[in-house]
Order: sequence, then C-alpha cells, then structure tokens
Amino acid sequence: MQLTKIPSTTGSLNSSISRGNTYRAIVLTLVFVVITLTLIPIFYLFMRAFQKPISEIGALLFRPKTLEVVLTTSLLVVAVVALTALVGILIATGLHFVKLPFRSTFLILLVIPLAIPSYVFTYTWIALLPSFTGFLAAVFILFLTTLPYVILASLAGLRRVDGSQIEVARSFGFNNAQIFFKVVLPQIRGHISGGVLLVGLYTMSDFGAVSLLNVDTLTVTIQNMYRASYDRNAAAVISLLLVFLSALFVITDERFKSKNLLNKTTKTTGTKLYTISSKPYQITLISVFVVNTLVAVAVPVYVLLTRFINNPVAIDWRSIATASISTVVVAFFGAVIALVLSIPIGVLLSEKPTRYSRFTNRVILIGHALPGVVVGLALVSFGSKLGFIYQTTFLLAFAYALLFLAKSVASMSGSLAKVPEGAKEVAATLGMNKWAVLKNVVTPIAAPGIALGTTLVFLTAMKELPATLMLRPTGFETLATQIWSSAAISRFNEAAPYALVLLIIAAVPTFILSRPDRVDKALTTQEVRG
Amino acid sequence: MRKIGFFGLLSALLLTLTTSCTSSESKISELTIYSGRTEEYIAPYFAIWQRESGIKLNIRYGDSAELAAQILEEGKNSPADLFISQDAGSLGAVAEQGLLTPLPKDVAEGVPAKYIQGNREWVGLTARVRVFAYAPDRVKVLPTSFTDLSKPIYKDQVAIAPTNASFQAFLTAVISNKGLPFAEDWLRKVKANGVKIYPKNSAIVEAIDKGEVSIGLVNHYYVWEVAEALGRPINVKNGYFKANDLGNLINVSGVGILASSDKKAKAEDFINFLTSERIQSRFVSDIHEYSLLENIPIPEDLPPLSDLGAPNIDLEVLKNTKKTQDLLIKVGLL
Repeated sequence: MQLTKIPSTTGSLNSSISRGNTYRAIVLTLVFVVITLTLIPIFYLFMRAFQKPISEIGALLFRPKTLEVVLTTSLLVVAVVALTALVGILIATGLHFVKLPFRSTFLILLVIPLAIPSYVFTYTWIALLPSFTGFLAAVFILFLTTLPYVILASLAGLRRVDGSQIEVARSFGFNNAQIFFKVVLPQIRGHISGGVLLVGLYTMSDFGAVSLLNVDTLTVTIQNMYRASYDRNAAAVISLLLVFLSALFVITDERFKSKNLLNKTTKTTGTKLYTISSKPYQITLISVFVVNTLVAVAVPVYVLLTRFINNPVAIDWRSIATASISTVVVAFFGAVIALVLSIPIGVLLSEKPTRYSRFTNRVILIGHALPGVVVGLALVSFGSKLGFIYQTTFLLAFAYALLFLAKSVASMSGSLAKVPEGAKEVAATLGMNKWAVLKNVVTPIAAPGIALGTTLVFLTAMKELPATLMLRPTGFETLATQIWSSAAISRFNEAAPYALVLLIIAAVPTFILSRPDRVDKALTTQEVRG
Repeated sequence: MRKIGFFGLLSALLLTLTTSCTSSESKISELTIYSGRTEEYIAPYFAIWQRESGIKLNIRYGDSAELAAQILEEGKNSPADLFISQDAGSLGAVAEQGLLTPLPKDVAEGVPAKYIQGNREWVGLTARVRVFAYAPDRVKVLPTSFTDLSKPIYKDQVAIAPTNASFQAFLTAVISNKGLPFAEDWLRKVKANGVKIYPKNSAIVEAIDKGEVSIGLVNHYYVWEVAEALGRPINVKNGYFKANDLGNLINVSGVGILASSDKKAKAEDFINFLTSERIQSRFVSDIHEYSLLENIPIPEDLPPLSDLGAPNIDLEVLKNTKKTQDLLIKVGLL
C-alpha cells in the first residue's frame, strides 16, 4: 500500500493518512468477513471430525482403503493435469501462431465443452459404449471437461508474449521448436499455472464423472460415507484429507509459477498473430480440432439428441421450463453474491503482495477444491439453525458463491491489477478520495474482466449438483437435479431433454467466454493469481 | 450505479419470493415429506392424496440414508413433517435421536404389530425381500446361501451396493445373527473374490443385463423396475437362497412423523391414507411390493412371504446400522 504517499493538494497530510487508514481498515474488515464465510465449511469439518476419538481418526486415515483412494485421486489429478497442460498449450499455441481458416469457429468448439456437466458427459459416453468405465475413462472425461480452462488461460498468456523477443530469436536462427521452448513457454508459465490450478482443483472435487465410472476418489468416498452412514464424522475426516491434498497442490502450483515472474510488467509489443502458415502445422492442428470436436461436442450432442427423439415418455415441457428458470435464476444470484464477496478480496490481492494477501489467496483457492457435498452439508448444519434462510434459494445461491468464489476472485484481482497505478495517482492528485477513484477510474477499466469472471461463476453454478440436491428448497428442481433424478442409465432417455436444455442454456455464457474479441479479457478470468 | 440498483432490486425481489415460498405457515395447507422412495414409484399416490385432501405436499426426494443424515444434521429445526424411508435402518437412526414422535393407536391400525416399531415411532408401509438377481444363461450353479458368493465359481461375477440401505439392513442381520467376526470375514472373502461395487440396486440389475456381472444382491422388485424403465424384457431373474438363509431377509419400507412437526394430525391422516387397503393394493399391483396388511393378495409371480423361509425381521435389530457402517468402512467397502 502506498496510500500514505498520495500527495493531497487540498487536505493536510494528516487527514490524508487517516482517510487512507479508514479505507484500509474497511477493506481488511471486509476481507476478514469474507474469509470467515469461506471458512464455514472447513470449520464445520473440524467440528465434525474431532467428535471422533483421535484413535479412530488415525485408524480411518491409515486404513488401506484410504491410502488407495489418496493414491487414485493423486494419480488422477497428475494424469489429467499433465494431459490438459500438454494438449491445451499445444492447441493454444497453434491457435495463436498458425494461420487457420475458421479460427473463431474452432475456438468456440474447443471451449463449448465447458457447457456440459461432467456427469452428462459421462452418461453420453456410457450410453454409446456400455463398457466405458474405470480410471482411464475418468481421465478421458475429465480431460475433455477441463481442457478449455488450459486453452483459455494459455491463449490469454500468449496475447502478452513479447513479440520483439521472438524476432530476435528468429534472427539468431532459432527454429520454431526452440522459440517455443526458450522464448514463448517461459513467458506464459504464469497463465498456464493458473489454468492448471483450475484443472487440478476441479479434478479433485469432481463427483459426477468418477462416481459413474466407478473410480474411487476422495470425493466419492466422502459422498459414500455421508450417504451411507448417519454419523458424518468419518466423512469429515476424509474431507479434511482432501483439503490437505488441495493445499499441497495449491502450494506446488505457486512454486511452479513463482520460478518465473520476470515478465510480469514487460508488456511491450505483442506478437503479430498468425505468423506461421505451413501446411503440416495447419493439417495437424485442424485434425486435432476435428477429433476434439467429435469426442467432446459431437458425441454428447448426438447421444442426447437420439435419446431425446427416442424417448418413449411424454416430455413434460412445463417441468422443463420451470427447471430452466430455476437454474438460471439461482445460478445468476449465486454469481452476483460471488461478485460482491470477491470485491474486498480482489482489492487486497490487486495490491502489492503481503503475507496477509498470500494467506487470503490460499484460503480462497483451497476452498475451491471442496466438493459440493461438503459445502452442502456445512450449510445444512449452519443454515438449519438459522431457520429462516434454510432451504431457500438464497442459501443455495450462497453455496454456489462459496464453491466458486476462487473463479470470481481471480477475475476480480486480475482486472483490478490491470488498472494502472498512474491513473489512480493522477485522480488522487486531482482531489478524488479513494472511493471516488474506485468509482470513476477503477470500475470502468476493470468492469469487463469482472463481468466475464462472473459469467464463469454463473456457468459453473448452473451445472452444480451435490450442493444443489442438499440445499434446494423442497420441491424446487433445477435442470441438474432433474437430470440426476433419472440417474440410472436405463432412464437416461427421460433425462435427455433436461440435459439438452441445460447444454443450450449453458452454451450462451460459454459463447460469451470464447468470443475471440473477448478472449483477451477472459484471460484475467482464468488467471488465478498466486 | 444503475447496475447496482438493478441487482439490489433483483435480490430483494428474490428474497421476498423465497421467503414467501418457504416460510408460509398458512394453516395446514401443506405437508413437507422427505421421501427415500424414488419419485417415479410413489409420486402417483402423493398426487391422489393432494387431489382428495386438498393439502399440498412438498416432497424432497433422495436416498433414504442421505435424507436420514440430513434430518440428523437439521435436528429439531428440520422442516420435514414426515420421513418415508426404504428401510428400517434409516428410520431407526432418526428415531434413536428422539426426532420421531410416537404415533397414536388409531394410526395405521391395519398394520400388524410386528411391523410397527416398539415405541410406535414409525410404521412399516411395504415389505420387500432380499434376493439374488442373476443372468439365467450365465449362472449355471445357483448359490444356496449368501456365503456361497465368496466361492471361486463366482469370482468377479458378483455385484453389491454397500451404500444402499437395504444391503446394509441385510448385513446388520448377518452381524446380529452370526456375529461381527463372521460378517467381517465374509465381507473380506467376497471382496477378495472380486466383488463389484455399484451405487444402487437398479444399477446392479442393469449391470447384469449388460453382462458386466452375472449375479447381484438386490431387493426383489428391481427386476420389474428396470425392465419397465428400459421398456423391454431384460436378461435378469430373481433367485432365492435356501430356507432360513439370511440372504432372504425381509425388510420393510416405513414412515414416521417428526417430533418437530406442528402438523401432526394431518401427518397422521396421511399415514392412514398410505396404509389404507386401497393404496396398499396399488403398491402390490403397481410396484410389485408386498403389502403388510393381512388380507391383501401378494404380488403376481412372487412366492408368499411365508414360503420364503425368510428369517424373521426384528425391527429393533435392523436399526443397529452403526456397527454395520463401521464394518463397511473398516473393510474398505465404503
């Protein structure tokens, strides 16, 4: 903070300091409030877990099954992260540097899988290949579901790559591969790590795909323990294990990122786009795009359409309409709450990093790996004691906000950081107080990025299932709960219309996120700052 | 600024909307039910009640155990008036915490005493039999006891659903009849024999039909449910173990009224409706479950309960699911 350095032309230095301090005190208080809210689920977990005697906790943690599940989860995360990183970076680099026909169409097709919930993805693949099951199947599905995160994040990084360095490298006779590894990759590392972080945390918290594919991950175990045993303490112990694992992942990712922060401020000339137009590159890329479109878009859409057409049961249009409206309204409301909660955090994180801000950021990120069932149960416990908000759409929307706060915070802090310090200082010298600067200078510059972050929360919330099942008002159905209620494959025909409608509705925000002219702003959405 | 105004307005609107929906204490015009019975198979009877009584039902569908856990978490603040469960265990767990209220004598009068919990905190609705479902063309030697399932001839061919309340009820019966070490030993042997885990009974029946496995422990009615859902005959039949084998356990679905409900009289009416002869015979003809009322015929194509040689169910025993679940966690099936 350099608030005290702001010269005030009107007031005395003293009053400026006190004004700055008030501002800081308010920001920090609000950060404290938000962090407290974010910690509700973790607080709940500790409360529950330690109702178990320590010896039982130990026995639970060290039984073979637990170790097995930790191993499966870790392997799954490593496999999905490695695959998405590899393929995502290659696709993004190709999109950025290679001259291609229908570039924007391909980009949309690459990002559209974001609109498909992992359980719908899995259903459609099982419907197509009845023997589709197991670890590799889960890697495949989670790879397809999370690939867009890495593509979007890498593209965002590529936009900022220093073009002059590439020119220099080329004049030294570097070939394309050398340029990529020596010049481009180091510069986009920060962005990649942001994308990879989302992929890893998502993989840890996913329930739909892994449970349908019979892969025992920590989330599945937590859900099973909770579903099958009325004492929730064992589930809480395993949840804390998941929290620990995600903390480990967040810190590893920070390490990876912090090795290279050199070019944080060296935004100079951007690269010229489409610099390569060699046939082999174009053909390879286009085939990759086509294959991806086939497995990640065509298969789900084809299966859903055929199921929809062959559905023997009359379609209940009224129920579809109600569920659609419910889905959109609650998800929107959740995104708005996330937006509001992320303001103080974003303000803190966009300033110079301190110990507090690093801690705050970690708490937010670790919370992102909590599965919906944990957040759901914590809010059932607290919410039912508060009575009046229990089983209201408000509490459900609040749960979405808690679950996806990291996404909103990332875009908030990223967008706020883009506001040049100079502009703020000039405004301050002109006599504007902090609030006026915020309103007149910061908001206009940061708003578009923040709006896209909010869109991402909205999109993710529409697909959410476990917390929705637990917290929705009784009798309140969203598209996700309707799809799940026809959970058995034998009744998938009945779920198809709901899944199709969800896909169509979710495609709208996905389309906004992938609009080529917006990608540069969407990048801040993906950039989870460390 | 205009945007903030819009959001504010919207939030306010939504808040009033939600509170008006949920906190309506309007004089007994609705009952809230947590139903562990799948929507498809019980919703038609709920609809009849709504039509005839004019009382709206708010129904929260879910897994019996899941809903029991939710009620336990909610405690005295539960918004539910009634809890309908697929099994005795979930009801027992809720009753044990004092969250169900004893029912007056004039409720569910036709249900025999052995299907009513000791303190009358819940009553049985229907009976269902544990069976083994199997693919007739692939299983040449039928098991005669549940203990046979650990034999090498069934290696990698057996499916169970450890999270399922009915499976847990069966295991609870094993523990109470044969002891914990026996049950643990059996589970470990079955696991070592390559048992496949499924999330629920219907998934097991589907898996048998698809050929993933050949034999699975389920409730008797899933063979019909899955065939109806698929709209075609399936390659799965029900089989029964030898007389008195614990694998033939009879379990009940049941219903109780929450102690925290302020609409007990109406909730009692609703239980009387569900245990009336008219609705009970519909349970038998529509969803192939056994009625608990003595004068109602048994489901078509099924043996009378008395012919199954099923071990007698004792509701008090089946409620001890804690030991069962701890065991499942211990051997790594949960």
